[in-house]
Amino acid sequence: MSNVPAIDKSIRFKAFRQEVTRSVGALVIALAVTTVIVFLTSKAPLDALTQLFTAPAAKTRTIGLWVDDIAKLTLTGLAFSLVFQARQFAMGVQGQVYIGAIAASFVVLSPIGTTPFGLAAGVLAAMAAGAFYGFLPGIAKAKLGANEIVSSLMLNYIAIELCNFLVRTSLPLPQAGVLTTVDFPEQSVLPALVANTRIDLGLIFAIVAVLVVWFALYRTSWGLKLRLVGHNARFAEYSGIKSTFIMVSAMTASGALGGLLGAVFVQGQTWGKLTVQFEGGLAFEGILVAIVARSRPLAVPIVAIFYAYLRQGASLMNVRTDVPAEVIGVVTAIIILLVSSSFSVNFVSKLFRRAPAAAAVQSAAK
Amino acid sequence: MALLEAIGIGKTYPGGVVANDGVNLVIEPGEVHAVVGENGAGKSTLMKILFGIEQPNAGRLVLDGKDVSFAGPRAAIDAGIGMVFQHFSLVPSFAVYENVVMGSEPRQGIRFDRKRAIAEVQALSDKFRLKVDPLPPVSSLPVGQQQRVEILKALYRNARILILDEPTAVLAPQEVQELFVAIRSLVAQGKTVIFIAHKLPEVLEISDRITVMRQGKTVGQVKSSEVTEKSLAALMVGREVTLRVDRKPTDQSKRVAEVRGLRVVNARGTEVVAGLDLNVHAGEIVGLVGVEGNGQAETLEAIAGLKPIAAGDITLSGEAINGLPVLDRRGRGLASIPEDRISEGLATGATVAENLVSTKLTDRRFVRSGLLDLKAIRDNATKLIAEHSIRVGGPGYTVGTLSGGNMQKVVVARELSEQPKLLLVNQPTRGVDLGATQFIWRTITDARDKGAAVLLSSADLSELLALSDRLLVLYRGRLVAAFLNTPDLTPETLGTYMLGLSTQTAEDMKPALR
Ligand SMILES: Nc1ncnc2c1ncn2[C@@H]1O[C@H](COP(=O)(O)OP(=O)(O)OP(=O)(O)O)[C@@H](O)[C@H]1O
Ligand SMILES: [Mg+2]
Repeated sequence: MSNVPAIDKSIRFKAFRQEVTRSVGALVIALAVTTVIVFLTSKAPLDALTQLFTAPAAKTRTIGLWVDDIAKLTLTGLAFSLVFQARQFAMGVQGQVYIGAIAASFVVLSPIGTTPFGLAAGVLAAMAAGAFYGFLPGIAKAKLGANEIVSSLMLNYIAIELCNFLVRTSLPLPQAGVLTTVDFPEQSVLPALVANTRIDLGLIFAIVAVLVVWFALYRTSWGLKLRLVGHNARFAEYSGIKSTFIMVSAMTASGALGGLLGAVFVQGQTWGKLTVQFEGGLAFEGILVAIVARSRPLAVPIVAIFYAYLRQGASLMNVRTDVPAEVIGVVTAIIILLVSSSFSVNFVSKLFRRAPAAAAVQSAAK
Repeated sequence: MALLEAIGIGKTYPGGVVANDGVNLVIEPGEVHAVVGENGAGKSTLMKILFGIEQPNAGRLVLDGKDVSFAGPRAAIDAGIGMVFQHFSLVPSFAVYENVVMGSEPRQGIRFDRKRAIAEVQALSDKFRLKVDPLPPVSSLPVGQQQRVEILKALYRNARILILDEPTAVLAPQEVQELFVAIRSLVAQGKTVIFIAHKLPEVLEISDRITVMRQGKTVGQVKSSEVTEKSLAALMVGREVTLRVDRKPTDQSKRVAEVRGLRVVNARGTEVVAGLDLNVHAGEIVGLVGVEGNGQAETLEAIAGLKPIAAGDITLSGEAINGLPVLDRRGRGLASIPEDRISEGLATGATVAENLVSTKLTDRRFVRSGLLDLKAIRDNATKLIAEHSIRVGGPGYTVGTLSGGNMQKVVVARELSEQPKLLLVNQPTRGVDLGATQFIWRTITDARDKGAAVLLSSADLSELLALSDRLLVLYRGRLVAAFLNTPDLTPETLGTYMLGLSTQTAEDMKPALR
C-alpha cells in the first residue's frame, strides 16, 4: 500500500471524512428527535434519557451485553454487506442463523460435542448449513429466475418453524414444557473472554470475519468480480465475468456468515443451548448496519458499536422506565432515511439557518 | 440586453476536480448558442449549473437582468429553463403524452384529464415541428423520437431557454437534420437554444454564436459566420487538428473471422439479422453501414457472445466459437468496444483502475492464485491514462466522475491495451471531441496495421469512409450492397442502399466480398 499515489489517498480520505460526517450528522439529528419524543411522551423524561444514553456503559454486566451485541450485529451486518455489494437483495440471514444453530446443536449434542473438537465441529457445521441455506435462493434465482427477496424470506420462515419443531421433538429437552434443549457440553461452548459477562469467543470470530470479508472483497479477484457485478451486471457479462456464478457464490458465502452467527448465538455464553426464537430479531438488524456502513466491511463494526449501544440503551430504558423500546425504531428510521438519501451536512446546516423551527429542535438537543 | 448570463462561474467537485474556473457565458434572446470544447472542458457542468443541478462555488447567474440562484431543477424550470440530457430520463413503459405531462398533468377536478393531455401534446408537437405520435409507449420509439419527447417535456413546462447537451451524438444523420428543422422552428417562435456538440460542421450549421471552453475556462465567444471549421478547431484545442488517418498497406490474406448464415431474433420475436454472411481478414477494417436498427449492432453482439443467435456459424481463426462464453472468446483474441458505454462498457461506480482490468481477471499479471496484484493494476491504469490522455485525477477515481468523452477513452484504452485478433467496434467516437476522435481513429487503424481484423459500425458515415477498407451495407438485417472503399465512393451512394431504395446484385457485390 506504500506506493498509493498521494492524490488517491487524499480523495479516499476526503470521501471517508465526508461519509463519517454524514453518519454522525444523521445520528445527532436522530437522537435530537428521539429526545423530543421522550420529552413529549414520558412522565420522567430525564430519567428515561439517562437510561438510554448511559445505562449500557454503567456496569460490567451491561457492557458485556453491549459488546455481545456488537459482535452479533457485526456478523449479520457483514452477511448483508456481502450480498448487497453484489446487488442481490437476499434477506436470508435470519434463516441461516436458525439453520446454522440447528446444525451446531445436532453436532454438539452428539458424542462429538464432548470431545475437544466439539466447539470447532459445531461452528463448522453451522457455517456449512448456513452456506447451503444461502446457496438455495441463489441457485433458484440463477436457474429458475426466482426472486431472491421472496425465496429468502420464505426460507426464513421454514428455518424458524423447523427450529421450533426440532426443539419440541428430536432434541433432548431438560424437562417437559421447557422449550430449550439441555445445556451444551462445556467443551462445545464458546469460552468467555471476560469472566461473568457475555463477551465470548464470538467477538474474536466477528473481528476475524471483518478482516476476511474485507480481504475477500478488496484483495481477491472474486471480490473485484463481485463488486463489478454489483455495479453493473451487464458490463460484467460483457467483460467475461460469469455473473450468475458470482451471484450464487456471494449468497453462499453470506450464508456461511449467517450460519456462523447461529453458532455464536447457541454455542455462546448467552445461551449455551438451543431454544426457540433465540435470535430475537437481531439478524434482520444487519440490514440497517449494512446500509449505514454502505456495505463496507470495515465500517460495519463501527456502525455496530453505535447501534448496539442504542439497542441496549433502549432495552434497558424499556425495562426501567415508562418509555417503550420501540422509540429506538424512530432513531433507526431517521438514520436510515438520512443516510440512504442524498443528505449532506451542508444541506442540514442550511436547513437550520433557514428554519427557526428546526433550530429549536437542535437547541432542545443540547 | 442578454437573456441569460453566467459571470465568473467556478465549480470544484468534491475530490478536487476544478470543472469550471471563471466561466462567462452570455446568451442573447432568440439565438442558438453553441458551447464547444474538448472532453472534460466543463460544458456539461456549466449546463448543470444553469439548470440548478449543480451549485457553483463562485460567480453568479443573471436572468433578464436580475440575479438568480437555482436551488434545484424545479427552480430553473420555474424560471423558464429546460434541459435535455444526453442520457434520457423517460419512463419507458409510459405513453409519450404521459411522459410529457408527467408532474404537471392537466386535471379535471382531481382526475387526470387524458384527452386534454393528448390534445395538448399533439398541439405542441405540431407547433414546433417535433413530429411524434403521443400514444405509443416511449420504449417502442427510436432514440431520435425519444429525444423529441424530452424536448416536448421541457416545452410543456414553458421553457424559454432550452439546453441540449450533445443532442446529436445519439442521432443518425437524417435525424440530425430533422432536429435542426425543429430547432429553427423553436427559435422562429421566440425560444432560445443552448446547444452542445463536438462535430464542428453541425455547430457551424445550426448556431448563431459559439462559446469555446478549454480546461474549465471560457477562451472565447465568436459569431458562427466569422469562423471556419479550422479556426474553430484551433481555438478549441489550441492547435490545428486534421481529421484524417492514413492506413498502411497490409497483408490481408489471412481470414480471421467468418460469419455464415447468421440469424438473430430479438426479444419481441422479430428477425433483426436475416441470414448474414461476412468475412473479416487480418489487417483490414470492414465497415458495417446502415441506418441504426438494421442489424449492425446485433451482428456485433452475436460475434462478441452477448446475444444468443437463432442460427448460423461464427468462426474465429478457423475455430467455431458459437457456443463459447464471452471469456473464452476474449481469450482467443476478441476485443469489443460496445455502443453504450454507460450501460455496457463500464461500471461507473468502480474506479478507473478496476474498469481497466475487468476483462483481464484471468491474466497472471493482475491476478495470481485468486489474489489481486494491486500495484500491477494501478500501474496498468497509470500507463493507460497517460497513453490515452484520459482526463482524470488518478487511477482511484470512480469512472462516474469522468466526462462523457473521457469515459469512452477508458473503454478504448481497455479494449486496445493488447493487440486483438478480432476487434469489434460500435460507435467508437460518440460524444468524443476532435482531438480524441483523431486519437481513437489512429488507435483503431494502428491495431489494423498490426494485423487485427476490425469490424466497425458507426452512425457517422464520414467515420466509416475514413476508416474502412471495405463497406457492407445492411438493410433489414440483410446485405444489400458491398463496396471497396475507393475515393469515388460517396455518402450519397451509400445512402440509397441504406434506405433500401436499391439493392446490388450478387455480381455487383462480388469484388468487395472476400
Ligand atoms: N460528479 C463529479 N465528480 C467529480 N468530478 C466530476 C463530476 N462530474 C464531472 N467531473 C469532472 O469535471 C470535469 C468537467 O466535466 P464535464 O462533464 O463538465 O465535461 P464536458 O465538457 O461535458 O465533457 P464531455 O464533452 O466529455 O461531455 C471533468 O474532468 C470531469 O471528470
Ligand atoms: Mg458532457
